[in-house]
Amino acid sequence: MVTRVRRSLKVGWNAAWLWGMYKIPSWGRRLRGIEISNEELSPTHQRAAARVLDLALDLRGVMIKLCQSVATRSDIFPKEFIEKLKQCHDAVPPKPFEQVRRMVESELGKPIEAVFSEFEPTPIASASLAQVHRARLIDGREVAVKVQYPDIEGIIRTDLGNMRRVCRVYEFFDPQPLPLLPLLVELTRHLRMELDFVREADCADRVRELFADDPHVKIPEIYREWSTTRVLTMELVSGIKITEKASMKEAGLAPAEVFQNLMYIYVRMILAAGFFHADPHPGNLFVTPTGEIVVLDFGLSKELPEGFGLGLFELMFSLATFNESAMVRAFTELGFRSKTGDTSTFVAIARRMVRRSDSGAFEGEFTEDMTEELFEAIREDPVAEVPSDFVLVARVFSLLSGIGHTLGSRANVLQAMSGGGPVASSNASR
Amino acid sequence: MTQTSTFTPEELLSSGPVAEPLIANGVRCHGGFDADGLYRSPRTLCRLPAIQAWQAQLSDQGSPLIEIPRNLMPPQYPSAVQAKLLLENGVREPVVRALTIISIVEGFGAMIRDVEVPELRKIFVEPIDGTGLDHLTGGLFEAHARDESGYRDEGGHKQMWEAARDAALENPKVPGDVLMRLMGRRGRGGPQQPAFPEIGPELERMLGLMANVLVVEVFAEGTFQWGIDVLSDPEISAAPEVAGSMVRNIQADEKPHVDYLRTALSEVSARTIRTVDDKTISGKTVVDGLLHRVLSQMTRNRPGDQREDLREGLARAISVATNPGALQEEFDALELTWTPPETTGFEPAANGA
Repeated sequence: MVTRVRRSLKVGWNAAWLWGMYKIPSWGRRLRGIEISNEELSPTHQRAAARVLDLALDLRGVMIKLCQSVATRSDIFPKEFIEKLKQCHDAVPPKPFEQVRRMVESELGKPIEAVFSEFEPTPIASASLAQVHRARLIDGREVAVKVQYPDIEGIIRTDLGNMRRVCRVYEFFDPQPLPLLPLLVELTRHLRMELDFVREADCADRVRELFADDPHVKIPEIYREWSTTRVLTMELVSGIKITEKASMKEAGLAPAEVFQNLMYIYVRMILAAGFFHADPHPGNLFVTPTGEIVVLDFGLSKELPEGFGLGLFELMFSLATFNESAMVRAFTELGFRSKTGDTSTFVAIARRMVRRSDSGAFEGEFTEDMTEELFEAIREDPVAEVPSDFVLVARVFSLLSGIGHTLGSRANVLQAMSGGGPVASSNASR
Repeated sequence: MTQTSTFTPEELLSSGPVAEPLIANGVRCHGGFDADGLYRSPRTLCRLPAIQAWQAQLSDQGSPLIEIPRNLMPPQYPSAVQAKLLLENGVREPVVRALTIISIVEGFGAMIRDVEVPELRKIFVEPIDGTGLDHLTGGLFEAHARDESGYRDEGGHKQMWEAARDAALENPKVPGDVLMRLMGRRGRGGPQQPAFPEIGPELERMLGLMANVLVVEVFAEGTFQWGIDVLSDPEISAAPEVAGSMVRNIQADEKPHVDYLRTALSEVSARTIRTVDDKTISGKTVVDGLLHRVLSQMTRNRPGDQREDLREGLARAISVATNPGALQEEFDALELTWTPPETTGFEPAANGA
């Protein structure tokens, strides 16, 4: 209870401080009849972002997740926030083993020794919602056990409640508020997905099925008998972290080929299957010495609306082929909505994107640079609605693009599409 | 009369005037109609005479133009008759899927502009001035790319196929598995091994792509005929005139692609290539070897594999028809048997290379 009150007070005080930081100087300027320009606001944005980051690192949990969400929304927030909050990683100090033991035993309904012959007390990874321990089942199989923090649901409820209140107050006082509440709704939806380990197991099985006959992909088996909504027991798979280029070379793997394999996997999930693993940060991706890509942590897996993959393909394709009119149609198919209801906004954005593409800046690559350009165009000529699925997919490709650059390769979606099948054998092959 | 054989990129990309633009299903596409209502392909004002000039040069030198034997062309599956049977029985999904895949594959043809082209003047022993080869990056690849995928505010073949599909089948719902079918499944095999390591990977990739695209473009004749047969049939098409003409327009646009590719490959064939280890190899050996490989792949196992891939989906689509058993039986009875010819005509031994 004390913790929850303390968290509420901290959130409330910081929200008030941030609000004052923006509003008080603007009142003074307005009295003198002077408008504040975006450039002038930059130092304020920087200080505000630093304050938000400090608060998140102090409170952790949902605050970390919120900052990570904000860092992906360059269509809404100023770049100073995006840059600062990108630093918000969710590695947190682990919980004591006794708490973990209690959680595992309560969830599985048995003493830990009745299920596992070995259970390492020190976790191999810990994040904002759960931590992972190496263990061995009684039958000798090596496993990874993901255990949710015992008090996490309560903390999340408190934090989300606090943030909802802050958002409502902010929207009440600000005549032109940033759309924070929809962001919070989206975050709540994602957290609910991430907290349900049975759903995570279902998602892992679904992706494994998608690549059932693909020898280049490895999705660890889930041991359902020893899994619940809060404890997930899965096959332990080891490998080289996806960004460790030198280790890959030592193992005789070609990093650029590994990356093209990774791109194929994501393009197949997103564009073709319409169901994807939405969290490809380097901690969730490994490569085995035989070149199989290992994908972990399916908590944030997402089903895309029907037709989304085709719409995204059309957008990428029109950008790569300098076709403005096709790009405008793709925006509409993807669910972008303009405030005016006509397509002039999209035509302007398409022209800007094609101009950049024309200079060879994108070359079929779905990069962070490309999404930045797109979102900046949207901020300047505001589009009422950017579909949240697009934001999530853009984040995935931005992360992949970053990994690609580390491995000396490019995140070319169209090239990845030709990794196999009819496209490869048509006039698309290179 | 002497013909000029050197052109600027702007010339090769230039179009003649049209009296009326081509609007396909509300999308402004390339090309247009002259005062007599005849369709005029885009970017052909100088491209057509240029190709004729380069072909005339080859002929003057006594070098033959490459011909891809039409008897190597595998039949479409499902055939036009089978596709019509499906549509007549309300089974639209396989045809809509096939047309959508055709449109996307056409669009992917634009990737030809991204192919890395080595310094050709240094590669060939003989000069290449005033040849098609010398103009690949000087307008020919770019014109091809723009024709296939559209450019700026004009649609290309991708959008024209979509328009033909939407006009004939009244804006059908595109099946959600189109991209999955298009991507196919990956096997255990790694990347294709080089056929001519001595010419270097960049040149082999470029020539391999050109050989591949040439064969695809020649075999596309079957696809065009299939499209015209199906989409211009008034019994099943809501807009037989519009849809049929659209496919004919695409077919007309593709002719310069076939012509410049066979011209440029014939020019390679008539020359000598410097190898990476400072020796030489006959261009004919390389071109024939690459064409033989492409044609073998496209005629031997692939038609059967593609047919097998499609069978399951077709059976699923037929299963929702009113009388699935009878329809499946009738569909199977229309099956064409096709055996690929024993030889491609480009076998190294046959050419004595």
